[in-house]
Amino acid sequence: MPSSEKERRAKRRSRDPSPSRGQQGGCWDWSCPEMRRRLEELYFREQDYIRAGSEDSRQFWAFFGRLQRFQTLKAKGEPAVWAPPARADPSAAPGLAGLPREYDPCYRINLSVLSGDVEGLARGRRGGPRQGPGVPAEQRSQFRAALLHYLDFAQKQSFAKLAKLQRERAALPIAQYRDRLLRAVAQNQVVVVAGDTGCGKSTQVPQYLLAAGYSHVACTQPRRIACISLAKRVGFESLHQYGAEVGYQIRFESTRSPATKIVFLTEGLLLRQVQREPALPGYQVLIADEVHERHLHSDFLLGVLRRLLPARPDLKLVLMSATINIRLFAGYFGGAPVVQVPGRLFPITVVYQPIPQEEALAASGKPERLDPRPYLRVLQAIDHKYPPEERGDLLVFLSGVAEISAVLEVAQAYATHTQRWVVLPLHSTLSIAEQDKVFDMPPPGVRKCIVSTNIAETSVTIDGVRFVLDSGKVKELSYDPQAKLQRLQEFWISRASAEQRKGRAGRTGPGVCYRLYAESDYDAFAPYPVPEIQRVALDALVLQMKSMGLGDPRTFPFLEPPPQSSLETAVRYLREQGALDRAESLTPIGSLLAQLPVDVVIGKMLVLGALFGLAEPVLTMAAALSVQSPFLRPTRTNPDCATARRPLESPHGDPLTLLNTFNEWVQVKSERAGSSRKWCRLRGLEEHRLYEAANLRHQFQVLLRDHGLLEPVQGPRDSYARQSRHRERRELHRLRQRHEETGGRTRKVLRLQEGEAGSSSDEGASGTGPSGVDIQDVKFKLRHNVDELQAASGTALSSHQFALLKLVLCRGLYPQLAVPDQYNSCRKDSDQIFHTKNKQGIVLHPTCVFASSPELLQATEEKAEPGRSRGSQEGLSSRHQLLAFVSLLETNKPYLVNCLRAPALQALLLFSRALDTSADCTRLVADSWLELCVPDSGAALRLLSTALQLRAAWEGLLNRQLEGRRGEPGHRPDPREVATLRQGLLEFLQQKVQYSLRRLTALEKQNCYVGPQTVAAAPGLPGLFQGAEMTPDEEKGGYRVAEFLTYNCLASETDLYSDCLRSFWTCPHCALYMPFTPMERMSHESSCRPRPQEAPLEEAAESSAKATALQRPYHCDACERDFLFTSTEILRHRKQHQ
Amino acid sequence: MDSHKEAQPKGDFECQLCGLTAPYSYYGQKPPNTHSVVLLEESYVMKDPFIPDKDKFLILGSQCSLCNRRVCVGTECSLFYSKRFCLPCVNENLREFPLEIRQDLEKRKSHSKSHPSKKADART
Repeated sequence: MPSSEKERRAKRRSRDPSPSRGQQGGCWDWSCPEMRRRLEELYFREQDYIRAGSEDSRQFWAFFGRLQRFQTLKAKGEPAVWAPPARADPSAAPGLAGLPREYDPCYRINLSVLSGDVEGLARGRRGGPRQGPGVPAEQRSQFRAALLHYLDFAQKQSFAKLAKLQRERAALPIAQYRDRLLRAVAQNQVVVVAGDTGCGKSTQVPQYLLAAGYSHVACTQPRRIACISLAKRVGFESLHQYGAEVGYQIRFESTRSPATKIVFLTEGLLLRQVQREPALPGYQVLIADEVHERHLHSDFLLGVLRRLLPARPDLKLVLMSATINIRLFAGYFGGAPVVQVPGRLFPITVVYQPIPQEEALAASGKPERLDPRPYLRVLQAIDHKYPPEERGDLLVFLSGVAEISAVLEVAQAYATHTQRWVVLPLHSTLSIAEQDKVFDMPPPGVRKCIVSTNIAETSVTIDGVRFVLDSGKVKELSYDPQAKLQRLQEFWISRASAEQRKGRAGRTGPGVCYRLYAESDYDAFAPYPVPEIQRVALDALVLQMKSMGLGDPRTFPFLEPPPQSSLETAVRYLREQGALDRAESLTPIGSLLAQLPVDVVIGKMLVLGALFGLAEPVLTMAAALSVQSPFLRPTRTNPDCATARRPLESPHGDPLTLLNTFNEWVQVKSERAGSSRKWCRLRGLEEHRLYEAANLRHQFQVLLRDHGLLEPVQGPRDSYARQSRHRERRELHRLRQRHEETGGRTRKVLRLQEGEAGSSSDEGASGTGPSGVDIQDVKFKLRHNVDELQAASGTALSSHQFALLKLVLCRGLYPQLAVPDQYNSCRKDSDQIFHTKNKQGIVLHPTCVFASSPELLQATEEKAEPGRSRGSQEGLSSRHQLLAFVSLLETNKPYLVNCLRAPALQALLLFSRALDTSADCTRLVADSWLELCVPDSGAALRLLSTALQLRAAWEGLLNRQLEGRRGEPGHRPDPREVATLRQGLLEFLQQKVQYSLRRLTALEKQNCYVGPQTVAAAPGLPGLFQGAEMTPDEEKGGYRVAEFLTYNCLASETDLYSDCLRSFWTCPHCALYMPFTPMERMSHESSCRPRPQEAPLEEAAESSAKATALQRPYHCDACERDFLFTSTEILRHRKQHQ
Repeated sequence: MDSHKEAQPKGDFECQLCGLTAPYSYYGQKPPNTHSVVLLEESYVMKDPFIPDKDKFLILGSQCSLCNRRVCVGTECSLFYSKRFCLPCVNENLREFPLEIRQDLEKRKSHSKSHPSKKADART
C-alpha cells in the first residue's frame, strides 16, 4: 500500500469513531460469528457484489478487523459520532460551490452501496416468525461505512497494480524502441531484434504488434515451459483485454481457440504445422524467439521459413536473439534490418580464480571425481566478505550430476557447521518437487546455494541470485555418426555461455561472478556454443524434411550446414529402417513415421504393434520410452525403494518393466484415487513423467486412429454412463478452476537442513492446492478416459501375446543389437560387457534389469555338455540371447539404455538386413558381424526356409496395412493371414536348435566372402527359394536369393565345392529319395510342404495358396508318381531319369 | 475461462495527464453486474484484470468536474471529494478545499520529490 494511502486512512480514522463503540443494541459484538452472519445475510447475498462465504467476504472481515483496531487506537477521546454526515447533493451547485464544508473521509469515496431493499428487509425480518433478531440501524450504518471503505480500498489496490504494471512496461529498455521496431516491421518482411536478458523483448514485441493492428501472431519458443509462462504474462500485462486472444500451444496442452490472436508455441510444433500446411496460411506474423540458442528445431525452422517467405509476401517474420552472432541471422535473410536493444543488467564484478596448478595436478590422479575444495573456498570467501544481513544467493554451475553431488557433499557439511547456507541441487533428473525448492526463500541471515547444471543458464531463472560460481565446464551430448552413439562429454563452455552464466548474478542488483578459470582460458574459449544441428543425430530431421518435400537434405540451405557425414548416416539409417527406399523417397511406413513426434524405432513399434492387435501395450511402451525415465536415481541406495520396485521389474527387459509400471500406476489411480502419488514415492518414481507418458500415449493413439491403424473409439454405451461421465467431468472442471483461481504453488521458506536427505518429508510438496486436491490427478482425469485406460492396462497378456510383443519391439529396435561378451559368465555382475556391430565393450546402464540379474542373459543350461571338443562344438546352446536397446549413451563409459532380450537365432533370421550362408547353410553370418553355426544342417535349412516365408508374409501384410490405412476396407490385411503369420512366428520362436553365436574378428570380416565368381564356374542352379530368382552376387560371391539372403557366399577353408556335392536324402513329406545338393534340398523342401490336413488350419490355407502360385501337379511317367513341382523342378526331376 | 463476451472493450481510456492507457468496457454510473454498487460519478470502468471473478470492476478514471479533462483515478492525477478534480484544478483552487485535503497534497508533494514521478512517460 502506498504510504500516502496509509496516512489518509489514518486521518480518516481520526475522524471516524470506532465502529465497536456504537452501543445501541446493547450486546452487539462484531467478532461474534452469529452477528456477522446476520449482516452477511443482509449485505452479502447471492445477488450482491460481495457474496457470503466467498474469498472476498473473508477479506472484507479481515479488513474490518484492521479498521476497528485502527479506529479504536486513533479515536481515543473523540466524540462518538458514527453516522456519516449528510452527503452534499452533487447537483446542488456547479463547480466548487457544492463542496461540503465539513470534511469527512466518506466524501472521498466515489462509490456507494444502494441499501433501500436492505433497509426494507432488515425491518421486515424483525417480524419474521422463524428469523432471529435483526441488526440495529446503527450497526447497519457502521457496517455500510466500513463496506464503502473496503470497496474503495480494493479499487485503489487494483488501480495501483495497474499503474505499476504500466510503469514497468514503459521502463523496459525495449519500450524506447517500440516505434522503430514497428516501422521496421511495416517496411520489411524480416526484422531481427537483438537484445540481451531483461530487455523485455519476449513479452513486449508480441504486444506491440498486436496493438499496432497485426493479428494471427505466432511466437515460437525453444522450451514448453516458456510458452506457458509467456502466455500467462502477456495475458496479464495486456490486462486480459484480449481474453482468450492470448494463448499457448505445446505438445499436450493448448489454450488456443478461434479467437486467439497471439499464440506462443514450441518450434517443433510450428514445424509440424508447416508439415501439414506448408504455406502456414493461419499466420500473419511469425516471431522466432531465442534463435541464438541454435536448437535443432530452431535452425531448421529458419531454413523452412526462408524458403516460405517468397511464397508468402504478406507474412512478416521477426527474429529475436540475444546479441550473439546477429550478422549470421541478418545475413541469412538477405541483410534484414536489425533493431538492437540494450539489455538491463546491473554491473557484475568478475573474479578470476583459476584452480591452482598443484591442486589441479593432485586431482588429475582421479579424473572421475571432481575436487570440491575450490568451490568451498568461494562459499567461505562470501561469508568472510559479505555480512549475512545483505541478502543474495549463490548459483554454482557445474557440468553434471556426479560433479553436483561431489560439491553438494562438502557444501552441506559446511552449511551444517556455519548455519549460514541452505544448499540445493538442481538438475533435470531431480523430481519436480525437488527442482521447485530452488525457488523457495532461505530464512533471514541464510543464503541459498544452488548447485546446478547448465539448466539454470537459460531454462530456469531464479530470482535473488547475487553470486555466480562458474566451473567453466559443460557436459554436452555429442553424436558420433559412425557408431551412431550419443556421447556425453565434458567441454569448456563458450564465451557466450560464460557471459550468460555471469549475467545470472545481475538480474536483481549488482553481483559478483567467480570464475574457476583464468582470463586467458576465457579468451581461448570458442565464441559460441556448437549449434545442436552439428552435434546430434539427424534421423528425425531428415525424415521430416522428406515429408515436407524439401528435396535432398544434402543440398538444403541450412543456416549453418550440419556435417555431411551426419546427413549421410541419417539417410542410410532411414533406409535401413525402411523409412526411405533406394531412391531416398519416403516409403509408406516412412511417411507415417514422419508424422509421429518420436524416434524412428519407437514409431516403428507402434505400426508393427497395431498389426497384431498389440496396440495397447505397444502404445504404453512407446510412450514410456519417449519420456525421461520415471525411475529416479536414488540419491543414496535405498533398499526399501529397490524392494518395492522389484515386482515391477520384468525379466525380459526394461521396456516391459516400464509397461508393468505404467499399468500398475493406472490401476492404482483408478482404484484408489489420490493415492498414486504416495505409491510413486515409495517406489522412487517421478509421477510427473508417468503423466507425460499418459499424455504421449493418448497422442499416439489419436495419430494411429487418424491413420486408420486403430479402430475408432467407442463412446460410452448407454446414456447413463454418458451422463455420469459428464457429471464427473463437470466436477473435475470445477476443481481445476478453483485451483487456478487460488493460484498455484506459493514460495515457501526453506529450513536450514533442507536439501539433506531425510528432511524433505513434507507431504504434498508439489501440485496440491490449498484445498488438498491433487491437481495433476484432476488434469489427468480430465484429459483421459480413465476407465478405458484402466481396461487397457488391466488385461494381462497371454504368453503368446507376450512373445509377439517382444518380437515386435525387437523388430522395431533392429539393428540396435548388442551381443554379450563370450566371457561374461566368468565376470562379476557389474562387469558384464557387450558389443554392438560398431562398438565394443559396452556396459549395461545401472538401472537396467539385466545389470542386477545378468544370469537372465546367459545360455547356461547346456553348460554341462562337453564343450572341450573344440571348434564349432564350443558354446553350443539353443538359448543364446541378444540385447535389443533403445539408445547408446556414452558418459565416462558407453552404456546400453533400455534393453530387451531376444532369442538370438530367431531374431537374426527374422530381422537381419544381410544374411549370408555357407554352402550347406550350417554357417550363417548376420549383417556381416555375427556368426551363427548350426551343426545340424537339416535344422539350419528348415529354419532358414521358414524364416524366408515368415518374412515375406510379414512384409506383405505390413505393406497392405500401411497402404490400406486410407480407409479402403479392401486393402486391409486379411485377419486370417494375420492369424497364420502370428501362428508361424510363435512356432518359429519355439524352435529349439543347438547353435553357437560369436562375433567375427576384424580379420575374419575382411576374409568373410568368397568374392565375385565367374558365372560359368557356378553350377546353373535353379532359382528356388520359393521360386525367387537367384542372381550371382557381384560383391560377396554366391547367389542372392532374397534381398537379405545371399547363399553360399561365405569363404571357408573346408570345401569350396560343397554346394555342388549331392548326397542322398529322403524327403520327409513325399518320401522322395535321391541325391541333393543343399540348395536343391532346401528348395524341394520349401515346395514340398506338408499336406493340408496335418497343418493348422490357417497355415494350410497359406501353403496351398503358395502352391497354386508357383507349382503345379506333375505326374512323372518314369517313376509313376505325382508331384507338386515348379517348372524347374520338373526339369531337374526328368534329368534324374536320363 | 469460458465467458469473455460480456467484457467487450468499448475503446481505450487514456489519462490526459499521465498518459495511462487501458481499454474500458463501460462508461457511466452503473457498471453491469455490480448489483447494489453504484458510482457517484460517470466513470470509465473495466473488468478488474487482477481478480479472476468476472463481475469485479475497476474504475479507471473520469472527467474533471471543472475542466472536463479525462483523468485517471491515480493520486498523482486527480482526487475525489464529492466530485472528481484533476490535480491542476485542485492546485488552482486550493483554498476552496478543506484543510485535510490541502495537508494531504502537501505531504504527497514532498514525498514525490524524493521519488521522481513514478508514472513517467507511458509512451515515448
